[in-house]
Amino acid sequence: MQIFNSGFFWFAEGILFCVMVLGMRAVARDRSIPLTWWKWLAFGVWVLLAGFTVAFVGTSVGEGEPTAAVRGGLMFGFVAIVAAVVLWRVWMIGAPSRTTEKVAES
Amino acid sequence: MRNRRRTLLRILIVVEALALALAFGRTRAAPDLTVPIGEIFSEATSFAEEHGVFRAYDGDGRLLGWAASGSESGYGGPMLLVAGIDTLGRVAGVKLVEQRETPIFWRMARAPEYFKALVDTPYDEIDYDYGEVIGVTGATISSGAIVASIRESVAQVAGEAFDVNLPLPARPFEFGLLEIAILILLIAGVTAQKVTGPTRQRIRWASQVAGLIVIGFWKDSPITLAKLAALMSGFFPDPRNSLAIYLLIAGFVVTSIAWGRNIYCLYACPFGAAQRCVGLIAGKGLKLPPWSVRLMGHVRNLIVFAAIFMAFLTLQPALSSYEPFAALFSLHGSTLQWLLLFIVLVASLAIREPWCNFFCPMRSVEILLQDIRRVFRKPSQAKSHD
Repeated sequence: MQIFNSGFFWFAEGILFCVMVLGMRAVARDRSIPLTWWKWLAFGVWVLLAGFTVAFVGTSVGEGEPTAAVRGGLMFGFVAIVAAVVLWRVWMIGAPSRTTEKVAES
Repeated sequence: MRNRRRTLLRILIVVEALALALAFGRTRAAPDLTVPIGEIFSEATSFAEEHGVFRAYDGDGRLLGWAASGSESGYGGPMLLVAGIDTLGRVAGVKLVEQRETPIFWRMARAPEYFKALVDTPYDEIDYDYGEVIGVTGATISSGAIVASIRESVAQVAGEAFDVNLPLPARPFEFGLLEIAILILLIAGVTAQKVTGPTRQRIRWASQVAGLIVIGFWKDSPITLAKLAALMSGFFPDPRNSLAIYLLIAGFVVTSIAWGRNIYCLYACPFGAAQRCVGLIAGKGLKLPPWSVRLMGHVRNLIVFAAIFMAFLTLQPALSSYEPFAALFSLHGSTLQWLLLFIVLVASLAIREPWCNFFCPMRSVEILLQDIRRVFRKPSQAKSHD
């Protein structure tokens, strides 16, 4: 899989992560979620985990080990998804609840 | 009344179709043992059988050796092997005649490697320490069945051909931590029926986590469709070393019929516990529309019926096993099982116990048992309880 070795892949991945960071900031602003350094740290750890998953799959495919790519991808992919859910819950700490928002609006 | 008749009709159709498939599967002729014996003694042209031991002769009528079969219950049913001993008393070869193991565990057992390692070994010096010979870990039921089958066939040949009595090792009743844990979990489940509210929830969490650790990650012994299909096919594993599966299935069936709710799924199933733990990470799950739950339930029932039907028809109970339990608990599984595990665990983040509701074969069996319970209860009882 030549694409994983190409500069374009890393360029695309970099853009994707920048969009994610901007998106997270926008969501936080819209929902009045306070952003702290440890939330960004958790996000950074998750980015590393997700990057590792992609790299593991790419490297395994490149090494001609499709079974390892599928199984490792599923295993680390699951961990990354669970970590994303945990990250979301961490990200939402301190956010005003929806009912509070509705009451304030009315 | 009409509902009862309809339920009864449904049960009869399912049971009769499965019984027909099983009867068809059972009508197959016993395997011809001279074929594998001929493969062991490649120069053999004729065979003579006496007391279950075959003599192989070449074209000139010269005796080449003896062979006998041995059988032992594996994971999905009996396994049949033939071992040949030459006239010098050395192993001429071991051939597999039939086995009913799950493909992944059969591959793990690496039987051909063990058979190869035994060739030319004197019959009374065979190393039965399977793991030691080829370095296999896991697949203990399959490798145990292989060793026991070879022991049995070699002992037969030794007695008949060399007049040597090779005693088979005594089999003690295995009642260890797994069996004790299962009994405790089932008792906890029964006890929990007597209490309500948070106490019941606490008991459920405690027993499920214990089940996840003991029945799941430690022993990898949850109830699977293959085990159930093997029992229904009449392949009963030796209770001396498979007491755990009898306890689990008895707990499942008895409580399903007695109370209409099975204790195993609620209090002991390790996979159910794994889903609940994953679900806990995401918090409140989505509520699916009832029609989709009903539809998925019908699809699951059809899949389970087809799986058992195929298992009976081919007399290969392991064929019916599609659960991804081994992938989670012992990291062994086909790519499809890994994929299914991934889908189920990810879905557990959003939906409450998706495997139990949409895929688990035991849920379909439980529904069938509940139907049977409903049909055979007095109408007055059914009205007051249901």
